[in-house]
Amino acid sequence: MEKKPINTKQLVKDIFRHVFIVLMVAVWLVPIVWLVATSFSAYNGRDMTNFFPQEWSLIQYQKLFTPDTVANFPAWFMNTFKVACACCVVSTLFTLMVAYATSFCDFKSRKPLMNLAVILNLFPGVLSMIAVYFILKALGLTNTHLGLILVYSAASGLGYLIAKGFFDTVPRALCEAAKLDGASQARTFISVIIPLSKPIIVYTIISSFLVPWMDFVYAKMIMNSGISDMWTVSIGLYNMLDKALINQCH
Amino acid sequence: MKANTMAPKPVSLERDLTSSGHFFSDLRTAVVKGDAFVKLSLLWWGAGYARRKQFFKAAVMTLLEAAVIWFTVAFAFQYVPKFGTLGTVQAEQIFNMETMKTEWNNYDDSFQILLFSVLSFVVWITAVAVMLKNMVNVYQLQRREELGLHINTFKEDVGTYLNEKFHITLLSLPVLGVVMFNVIPLLILILVAFTNYDQQHMPPTALFTWTGLTNFINLFGGGGLTLTFGYSFARVLVWTLVWAVFATFTTYFGGILLSLFLNNKRTKLPKLWRALFIVTIAVPQFVSLLLVRNFFADNGIFNGMLTSAATALGIIAEGTTLNFPWLTAPGWAHVTIVLINIWIGVPYQMLIATGVLTNLPVDQIESSRIDGANACQTFRYITMPYVLFVTGPALVTDFVKNINNFNVIYLLTQDVYTTTNQALANSQATEVDLLVTWLFRLTQDYYNYKMASVIGIAVFVICAVFTLVAFNFMLSGDKEGVYN
Repeated sequence: MEKKPINTKQLVKDIFRHVFIVLMVAVWLVPIVWLVATSFSAYNGRDMTNFFPQEWSLIQYQKLFTPDTVANFPAWFMNTFKVACACCVVSTLFTLMVAYATSFCDFKSRKPLMNLAVILNLFPGVLSMIAVYFILKALGLTNTHLGLILVYSAASGLGYLIAKGFFDTVPRALCEAAKLDGASQARTFISVIIPLSKPIIVYTIISSFLVPWMDFVYAKMIMNSGISDMWTVSIGLYNMLDKALINQCH
Repeated sequence: MKANTMAPKPVSLERDLTSSGHFFSDLRTAVVKGDAFVKLSLLWWGAGYARRKQFFKAAVMTLLEAAVIWFTVAFAFQYVPKFGTLGTVQAEQIFNMETMKTEWNNYDDSFQILLFSVLSFVVWITAVAVMLKNMVNVYQLQRREELGLHINTFKEDVGTYLNEKFHITLLSLPVLGVVMFNVIPLLILILVAFTNYDQQHMPPTALFTWTGLTNFINLFGGGGLTLTFGYSFARVLVWTLVWAVFATFTTYFGGILLSLFLNNKRTKLPKLWRALFIVTIAVPQFVSLLLVRNFFADNGIFNGMLTSAATALGIIAEGTTLNFPWLTAPGWAHVTIVLINIWIGVPYQMLIATGVLTNLPVDQIESSRIDGANACQTFRYITMPYVLFVTGPALVTDFVKNINNFNVIYLLTQDVYTTTNQALANSQATEVDLLVTWLFRLTQDYYNYKMASVIGIAVFVICAVFTLVAFNFMLSGDKEGVYN
């Protein structure tokens, strides 16, 4: 290979390219850095003038893990963790069941059911929220974690499309082979398809596990009794921030 | 199973049994040709099974029927007769002479009537479907007996639910969940759009009732002088659509450009840069949004930084502060929200685009380069059409998601943005509201369920029309068959 002469024009372009990337990264990371820096601040309020805290300390972390009357982070964390685990199990099962039924089973109402699911997905979730609340109230499940779990996972069957897309790519010959060997549909599902679908199962587990940590609208509506020990992390954080705003806005 | 395979199968007879595939023609045959027990099974669901000595199944069906009847008598009859009026007895406190206490009278709760009536209708529709399907099944049994075919024992019947009817086993629980927590709430809210359920008509203390299309007329411009919903709806709708277009396309193209930039051969350390962008995904959206909201607050750190920078450069005098209304003035807030959404959304889109771009048709790009195409042309004529083809459907769903993008707008503007526009304020909307956030505020803070429902229906219609049109343009047939 011949040695390329150093191309100054190309070099300048490369430098600009990297300067641009560094600038973009800076823009994306500044708020995150601010978040982390502020968390190590000894100052209790919101510091408006200094990007980095005047005095560094771990006191905020220490406070976070010692429950007091208003903020009980350890309890919130455990609540969310419990809800997330239950949610994860139910959602994953439902999603995989629906995905298998719509992908591998051949039955008459398959297409109509799938079309119905598409239509249901088009309604804004916020719309049905209030009726969901009244249904939970009628069942006596408001202000309970079971109610939260139901809200997060009961309708999770509607989110089957990604798993179905994965199942659609599994070779049909495998199922036929299993059938010829005398396996029932249930057997095929459990012993042939599930072991083949680890990636999609992991994806479903992670995404359903994250829902309770991220959601705050439903949680706020259902956990409305004001008993902070029952809250999940997101309601707690939102309330803490609210309190901070009230204390510090002049 | 074993028994079936060992005995020679009377194939012709089995074929004789196969149904026409249409439920209603099957039902007609069953009604016309069924014997007395088949006909009786309309009244007593277990009749046909009992006649064919399937006693377990007969018992199960009978119990199911009893449950439906019990539900109807003990529960549904309390509510369904009042469905036409949604209740007539106003809640009142009366003094009870016997107990010497003030007590509530036996009042009607309109919402409960609505909720439980809808529940009863769903149960009844299901029951009728079961009843008719049951009749078809029973007639099949009769035919099997007439043809001298094997009639399943209870154990074999249960077995079919793990095999031929496995989809029923799989779908029953998820469908129940969807019906309870998705279908019934939606039905109720659609019905509420035709009532006057609002703050003046809040159960249990007040009744609400059917008002026909009044709410729709109010929303689409009609109504009295005090109502400004028509105006607000138009304003909010326009911003919703503008927002959806900007939010979808900025993050989409931003993500593609960024990932092309990072994937470029001349970029050093692409993995490091990518990882740094992904850090922003790792922070939950809800935390990062609240964080950015504080960052851009009127007296927040961003204005503070600008002030120090401007003071240092001598643009403004010492002591003055810059207070840009990033999230508090119309216009400013709109732009800031779109920019913040770019900040939130581009890393996601970059990840997706990186995945798509790894399968880019390299040979085509190579040959276009040899033909003398420059980078722009390659992007315009090869990369973009390919990426659009792969991610087109995702683009449509992204657009719909952005129309319903509750989190970004609500968390950035709630408690921060207040409108000065009197007409908008009258109908509890703000300039930066999307239809969904407006809907949410109407229900949560103002209990105006009737208008919220109408808005919800409008959102659905917009999303449905857009999706249908877009998919008709973009997709031809479904790809499912390719892999099957």
